[in-house]
Amino acid sequence: MFSYSIVGAQLYVGDMLFVMISFLVLMWLVKIVAWKPITKMMQNRSDKIASDIDSAKESRTKAADLAEKRQTELQKTREDANGIINTAKQNGQEQREKIVEDARNEASNLKSSAEKDIEQQRQEALANSRKDVASLSVEIATKIISKELNADDQKDLVDSYIEGLGKQK
Amino acid sequence: MSGGTPSTFEFLGLTFNVGNMISILIACAVVLGLVYALSRHLTMKPGKGQNVLEYAVDFTNGIVNSSIPGKTSKTLGLWGFTLFMFIIIANLEGLFLHIDVSGVAFVKSPTSDPVVTMTLSLMTMTLAQFLGIRKLGYKGHFENYLKPFVFFLPINLFEEFTNFLTLGLRLFGNILSGEMLLGIIVNMAHGGPVIWIGAFILELVWTGFSVFIGCIQAYVFVTLSSVYISRKIELED
Repeated sequence: MFSYSIVGAQLYVGDMLFVMISFLVLMWLVKIVAWKPITKMMQNRSDKIASDIDSAKESRTKAADLAEKRQTELQKTREDANGIINTAKQNGQEQREKIVEDARNEASNLKSSAEKDIEQQRQEALANSRKDVASLSVEIATKIISKELNADDQKDLVDSYIEGLGKQK
Repeated sequence: MSGGTPSTFEFLGLTFNVGNMISILIACAVVLGLVYALSRHLTMKPGKGQNVLEYAVDFTNGIVNSSIPGKTSKTLGLWGFTLFMFIIIANLEGLFLHIDVSGVAFVKSPTSDPVVTMTLSLMTMTLAQFLGIRKLGYKGHFENYLKPFVFFLPINLFEEFTNFLTLGLRLFGNILSGEMLLGIIVNMAHGGPVIWIGAFILELVWTGFSVFIGCIQAYVFVTLSSVYISRKIELED
């Protein structure tokens, strides 16, 4: 009854069955061979991409935090360094002043002791020279006296000297 | 394809067409071989073959997802992919390889036979009915035929039938006409060397066009199938 379809080709029920079965078998084989692995892979990939995006966001915020922390630390370090430099400068200044002061003191000490020495030496020299002058004058006087003692006109002078000496004593 | 009665045999009271069977088996083997070759060494970072396969999967998933809403589209991904691959390979098969033995075609496009295309169409319709019943229940499913009014029952039934008919016949007509014209051009080439060159150029052009039509028809078939299924799994207002 249904041996002819509307377009004039013969209707083979066996062919219909064959198409159905082969299509279903093909679908099953495709599922085993490719569909399952490829959909799994695609799912894995989309999962991975999603997690990558999440972790990238996380690491970005972490990096920002870290950078901020570094910045504040750097600022702090800079301040510390400035403080150290300032104290060092101050110390240096103080030390310089102390050294100069010390040097000045020492110099003045040296100067005063030298003056004292000089004075002492001068006094000694003066004392020596006085002693020498006395002895020399005595010698000269002795010589003069011995040379012209015999003259009679000197007699008064010698007497006066002797008188003077006696008065001094 | 035309002329000569096809070679057939009977088995368990059913008539089988040898030409169709060979063509279908070849199409299935090509699809399976292609998919098998492209799906080797699947990696997270896709290679050349994997890219092609993933593009095809994305393409058919896109067709199915665009018309079928929600969870059903996920389970139909494999169906859409297999259907698309099978039809496109079946459409192109006759363009690359066409073997006639004394007027009887043994290797051709399986889709140039109405039995094959109507069977595919029937499978789609059956699937649509099945999914509709599973989604809405028997009551909800058959009530859809009475909408918007009870009087629409014959119209709705008739629409089901025409959907089934046009889905199969569109594919069959396009592919058959392509093959038929190719056959006519080949016969024309026997007329002499000058005509041979003309026929050669004409055949090149027509083969290209047929490839285009074959791809478009595979796309259309899968799209329309998805649309018919989506209509069955939604409650009409």
